[in-house]
Amino acid sequence: MIEVKNITRAFNGFKAVDNLSFTVGEGMNAVFLGTSGSGKTTLLKMINRLIEPSSGEIWIAKKKINEQPVEELRKKIGYVLQNIGLFPHYTIAENIGVVPGLLGWDKKKIYARTTALMEKLHLEPGKYLSAYPHELSGGQQQRVGLARALAADPPVLLMDEPFGALDPITRASVKKDFKELDELKTKTIILVTHDVQEAFELGDRIHLMDKGKIVQEGAPDELLFHPVNEFVRTFFDEQRFQLEVRTIGREDYPALIHAFNHFKNGQA
Amino acid sequence: MEQQQTLWQFINQQSGKLLQQTVEHIGLTFISLLIAVLIGLPLGILITRRTKAAWAVLGFAGILQTIPGIALIGFMIPLLGIGPIPAITALFLYALLPIIRNTFTGINGVDPVVREAALAMGMSNAQILFKVELVLAFPVIMAGIRTATVINVGVGTLAAYIAAGGLGEFIFGGIALNNTNMILAGAIPAALLAILLDFLLSLLQRMSRKKRKVTLWAMPVILLLFSSFYLLPLGYNTKLLAGFTPEFMGRQDGDIGLRSIYGLRIRTVVISDAVMYKAAYNKKLDVISGYSTDGRLKAYDLTVLDDDKKIFPPYYAAPVIRKEILQKYTELAPVLNLLSTRINDSIMTELNYRVDYLKQSPEACARDFLQAQGLYKTPRNGRKGRVRLGSKIFSEQYILINMYAMLIQGYTDLQVDTRTGLGGTKICFAALQNDQIDMYPEYTGTALLAILKPSSAEIARLAGNRDSVYSYVQQQFREKYNLDWLTPIGFNNAYALMMRKKQAQELGIRSISDLTLYLKKTKV
Repeated sequence: MIEVKNITRAFNGFKAVDNLSFTVGEGMNAVFLGTSGSGKTTLLKMINRLIEPSSGEIWIAKKKINEQPVEELRKKIGYVLQNIGLFPHYTIAENIGVVPGLLGWDKKKIYARTTALMEKLHLEPGKYLSAYPHELSGGQQQRVGLARALAADPPVLLMDEPFGALDPITRASVKKDFKELDELKTKTIILVTHDVQEAFELGDRIHLMDKGKIVQEGAPDELLFHPVNEFVRTFFDEQRFQLEVRTIGREDYPALIHAFNHFKNGQA
Repeated sequence: MEQQQTLWQFINQQSGKLLQQTVEHIGLTFISLLIAVLIGLPLGILITRRTKAAWAVLGFAGILQTIPGIALIGFMIPLLGIGPIPAITALFLYALLPIIRNTFTGINGVDPVVREAALAMGMSNAQILFKVELVLAFPVIMAGIRTATVINVGVGTLAAYIAAGGLGEFIFGGIALNNTNMILAGAIPAALLAILLDFLLSLLQRMSRKKRKVTLWAMPVILLLFSSFYLLPLGYNTKLLAGFTPEFMGRQDGDIGLRSIYGLRIRTVVISDAVMYKAAYNKKLDVISGYSTDGRLKAYDLTVLDDDKKIFPPYYAAPVIRKEILQKYTELAPVLNLLSTRINDSIMTELNYRVDYLKQSPEACARDFLQAQGLYKTPRNGRKGRVRLGSKIFSEQYILINMYAMLIQGYTDLQVDTRTGLGGTKICFAALQNDQIDMYPEYTGTALLAILKPSSAEIARLAGNRDSVYSYVQQQFREKYNLDWLTPIGFNNAYALMMRKKQAQELGIRSISDLTLYLKKTKV
C-alpha cells in the first residue's frame, strides 16, 4: 500500500505538485493522467526519491520512505522509464539481472529468473541473453526494461509513460503482453500517462491531474459519467464515444439498443 | 675530408647512449603520465559533481597548457631546481588538461536517462560511478590519456635542457652541432615512441569490456614498470657531478675530447646553458661546460679550469656574411669592421654580465658601449635597402647584433631587420645559406668543428692557432658557401670547464688534468 500525505514539490517557487494526498491499495493499478506539466512525473519520482518533496510524507507498506536508506528503498520498487534507459554496456541478461545482482543473489538464481522473465515477455533467451540493447528493436527494448523492473520481484512498480516511446502497433503488442503478465496482478502499480485510452485500459482507478493537483479521482466510469467539473468533462470530450463504448461493455449493447429504440418511439 | 657518416652508423656507434636516452624518455613520460592520471582522473570526476568548480579547474589546466614547454620548464627551475623532479612536474602539468577534460566530458556525456535508470535501480553513487559512468566514459577518457601520452613524449624532449635526460639530448645536441644524424637519432625514436604508445593505447581504447577488465588491472603495473625505467642506474658514479650542454656532449672539442685526451671520467648530466651556471652556483653541479666570456662566470663566482692539453680551439667571433650583400652595399663591410679589436675577453664578459645578471636590455647595453667608445651615431633612417641580421639564442649574440644594427643605421642609409634567437649553429647557418638572413656573428672554432668538419689531421695541422684557424675557415667559406668572414671582433669565446672558485681552491684543482687526477683518486 502506498500512502501519500500532503505532498508538495516546488521548483523556484513554482509548485509542480501542490499538496496532494491519496492512497493506492495493495495490488491496485493507479493511473495518473494529465497533460505534460501537470506534475504527474514529479509525483512519480518522489515515490522512489529521485526527487525529494518540499513538504509532506510518503509511506509504503506502513513505512516512511525517507526513514530507510534510499538504495534499499529503490531496490524494492520497480521502475520503468519512458526512454527505457537500458545500460548500453550491459548485455540483455546483465540488464535484467541488475537489481538481483545488487541484492546479492547467486548467479544461478539470477540466470533462472532472467530466462523465466524473458520467456514470459516473448524474448527468446537463446537469441537475446548475450545481445546488447542496441541490437534490439524499440519494443524489445521496452520488454527488457519491464523485465529489469520486475526482476527482483518488487511489491511496487512505478511506470513513467512506459509505452510512450513506441509506435502504435508495437505499443499494442507490448501492452498486451504487459496485461497478461501474471506477476503484475499482485503488485501495487502507479502508472503515469497522458494517453486517455491507456488510462482507461490499464487503471483500476484514475487520478486526473492538472496544475499539480488531482482534479478528480475514481474508477474510469465515474470520471466519464460523473465529472466533478467542466475541466474533467472536456478532458474526455474528444474520445468520449470510444471511451463510453469501452466502459459500457459488450453485454450492455442490447439494453442500449432497447433504450435507443424506446427513445425514438417516444419521439414519434 | 672524411666520409660523411650515415645515420645508421651514428646510431650503431651511439647505441648505448641511445638506449639509455630512450629508457629515460619512456621513464619520464610514464612517471608524469602516472601522476597525471592519479590526480587528473579523480579531479575530472570531482568537477562533474561540483559543476561550479569545473570552469575554474578546466580554465586553470587550460592556461597551463598554453604555456610553451620551454617556458614551463623554465618556471620550474627557481621552484624545483634542475633534474628529473622539475621535468616530471612540468610534464605532469601538461598531461593534466587532456585527462581532466576528457574525464569530465566523458562522464557528462553519459545519457542522463541511463544515469537515472541506474539511480532508480538502487545503485549507490559509487556503483553508478564505477559500474556505469566510468565504463561508458572509458573510450573518451582513454582518448585523453592518449593525447597526454603523445604530448608527454614530445615535451619530454625538453627535459634535456634541465639535466633530466631523454631523447632531447640528441635532438638539441644535433641542432647545436649542425649534426643531422644526431638530430634524427633523437627525433626518429621520439616520433616512433609517440606513435607506438598511441597505437597501444588505441588498442586498449577499442577493446571489448570483458578483455578490458584484465588490461585495466595490468595497466597500473605497466605504468609503474615503465616509470621505474627512469631509476635504472646508468653511467659512472663519481664524487663530482658535471653538467654539460647537449652541444658540448657531442663535440670533439667537448666531452669527446675530454674523454679521449684527458681521460676524464665523470658522472655527467646534460643541461641547457641557460640554467647551468646557476645550478653550479647552487651546488647542484660541480663542473660545467661554460663559455669563457660568459657574464655569469663573474656573477656566480666561478673559475675557469686551465685547458693544459689544449683541446678547446680558439673561438674568435666575427661576422659571417653573404658575399652578394657585401657587393651590393659596399659601404657595409667597413661599418661592420668598426667593432673589430674593440672588445676583448674581459670586456665581453663584462657586457654579458650586465645583460645576464644585471638584466640590462641587450639594446641598452650595446648603445652604452658604442657611446662610450664614441662610435654611436643617431639613425639616419635611410631607405636605400634592407640588411637582415640573425643571432643565436644567447646574450652575447643579442648584444653584438644590437651593436651591428646601430652601426648600420647610424653610418649607412640601409635599414635593418633583426632575427634574433635563431637557436643553434645549424639554424643560423641554414638561414644564412637559404638567404633568410644576410649575416650573423659566428665563432671560428664553431665554424671549423661544427660546420666544416675537416679531418682530424687537418685539425691537428691548424693546432688551435688563432690566425690559421681564421684564415682556414674564411677561405673554406668563400669557396664552399659563397660566404665571407669579416675581421674578428677581438674576444675569444672558447669552451671552458668551470667550477665554483671556492670548491676548486679547496680541492686544489686548477687545470683539467688536476680534475682528472682528483676524480681518479677519489673513485667510488
